[in-house]
Amino acid sequence: MKQIKKKPSRRDFLKTTGAAFGVPFIITSAALGNAERPAASDRIVMGGIGIGNMGRGDQGAFLGRRDVQYVALSDVREDVRNKSKANVDGRYRNADCQTYTDFRELLARPDLDAVHIATPDHWHAIMVIEACRNGKDVYCQKPETLTLREGPLMIAAARRYGRVVSGGSQRVLGDYRKYVDPAWAGEFGTIKSINVNVGPLPQLCNLPQEDMGEKIDWDLWLGPAPWAPYNSKRCSGSFSINGSSWRSFSDYSGGGMTDWGAHHFGGATFICDVRDLQPEEVTYFDDKDGKYLAYRYPNGLTIYHNRPHTGNLQIEGTPGEKLPAKPVPVYKGDGEIYGDFIHCVKTRETPFRDIESAVNTAVLAHLGNIAYQLKRSLKWDAARQEFIGDAEANRLTDRARREPWQL
Amino acid sequence: MLDTAFEALKKFDWGSDLGALAPIEDAVTAAHGKPEARHEVETRLVTALQGELSRDAREYVCRKLAIVGTAACVPGLAPLLVNPESSHMSRFALEQIPAPEAAQALRDALSRASGTVKIGIISSLGARRDAASVPPLGELLQDGDAAIARAAALALGAIGSADSAAVLQRSLQAAGGSPAPIVDALLHCAETLMAANKLTEATAIYQAFAQDNQPRLVRLAANRGLLACASKQA
Repeated sequence: MKQIKKKPSRRDFLKTTGAAFGVPFIITSAALGNAERPAASDRIVMGGIGIGNMGRGDQGAFLGRRDVQYVALSDVREDVRNKSKANVDGRYRNADCQTYTDFRELLARPDLDAVHIATPDHWHAIMVIEACRNGKDVYCQKPETLTLREGPLMIAAARRYGRVVSGGSQRVLGDYRKYVDPAWAGEFGTIKSINVNVGPLPQLCNLPQEDMGEKIDWDLWLGPAPWAPYNSKRCSGSFSINGSSWRSFSDYSGGGMTDWGAHHFGGATFICDVRDLQPEEVTYFDDKDGKYLAYRYPNGLTIYHNRPHTGNLQIEGTPGEKLPAKPVPVYKGDGEIYGDFIHCVKTRETPFRDIESAVNTAVLAHLGNIAYQLKRSLKWDAARQEFIGDAEANRLTDRARREPWQL
Repeated sequence: MLDTAFEALKKFDWGSDLGALAPIEDAVTAAHGKPEARHEVETRLVTALQGELSRDAREYVCRKLAIVGTAACVPGLAPLLVNPESSHMSRFALEQIPAPEAAQALRDALSRASGTVKIGIISSLGARRDAASVPPLGELLQDGDAAIARAAALALGAIGSADSAAVLQRSLQAAGGSPAPIVDALLHCAETLMAANKLTEATAIYQAFAQDNQPRLVRLAANRGLLACASKQA
């Protein structure tokens, strides 16, 4: 945040340069701010990485804030860069927004306070960690991780550099209050279990080569993922999880398990107040009713996945028991999850969707994907971040990244 | 079924039906806890790898060897490490195979590789937290290619041992400045050392970066680390 830095403010800069060059000392009202808008020196200077689809929405949310100055964006698609720049410049009625194909150039800018990231999931960890190294606060779309190993490294980088890093599910608080409020009011008594219905699992992508019908830096889109030929479905950012977007494919995403799972599992852990925990066991069932999972928590809670004949977020409480009410955590600042993030950038408070709870949610989805892939139950040591007694499962906690990308 | 799948693998390429390979996937999963079955499927995968395969099929084999591969498959994977087209997927398997032979293959390839391929191998050694890699990675901190030196620093940070920290500290002194990758790697080492209750070593790293001549971001990180060490000691 610029106002807490010792270096000269923009106003100081304008004063000194104006004097040095002997030009009339003119500062526009837009720079000075007014009752409607903070002065430029008091705005959070932001950039965005991955501006298609969700990134476009995130950009709009930040761009609409009076306390944000949006100055830079990065995307591997030329048309996205051009349209997004036009959007930003149109908002500010200037031509100042800088565009980059390579996110590293954007992150190297010393004037940025914060970035939002909405690339495919296989990029999140690398970008979040690199942003922290460069002293940026980060709003990262969900699901925040692609592998189990990434989460602790992202948390470590955020804590190392004292960065505010928020995950991106707006639904965890926004959609599930009808369950959260009675749960935190103690009305269900001790919650024994909750069920999450979400899917499908990610699949390997074997789509054939297509002619590149767009201007895209393909090598940079693939990044740390295995090389594969261009195919429009492979890199489509649509919200489909049925094989026609990157969200479906295991090299770039955890499939529906992580994509919608970030919302539903996030909601379940919020309802049950286990956002700070990870399960210790995942039991795999494959019976006449189909395949499903039961995650067991250290506090005795069970979160089911796709339990037969059970609705999404269906809660099994303790009839007749009423627990003391607890205050429900909510967003700080104004403007939902985006406002919560900006507020925390200014105050250095912990955001509602802090990276640690976001990672814990993603862990559920990853453990589930691995249990389904291996078709067996697993024991998870959350402290050591490894499976107990299953060397093969431990091989699936991470994957080699394509050179030159490294965590 | 499995025979048919391995036949299909020979003609497998982008756009082929993945379902034809499902029996291989099933065999890999079913081999859990069954050494003979595991040996059989690994042997068949290695045999396939040594034949004429498309890039896509070869990658499929490496994905499966990442799960069931042992020291036995390392000789089949190692030659692929220095080829830019196959290096990544060879590492995809080798990075996950716990056998020391896999780490040795990666270390051996360091001297034969260059450019981004070398960076990839460095990153895999770091991900494995391979203690024996500390000396060669330490030498690479002085590499003329800044990207290779950066990769080596980050890998040493991931290894996070007292030895890797010592190598990084020596390099920092020799550099006469504070190159960001080495600083980041040392802070990473300090966190790992602190978690392992090696508080003296961790504190020494943090103290060096808590000085006024360090960038603000680094100084704050070091002071946070010092506080964490102190509270752990209390």
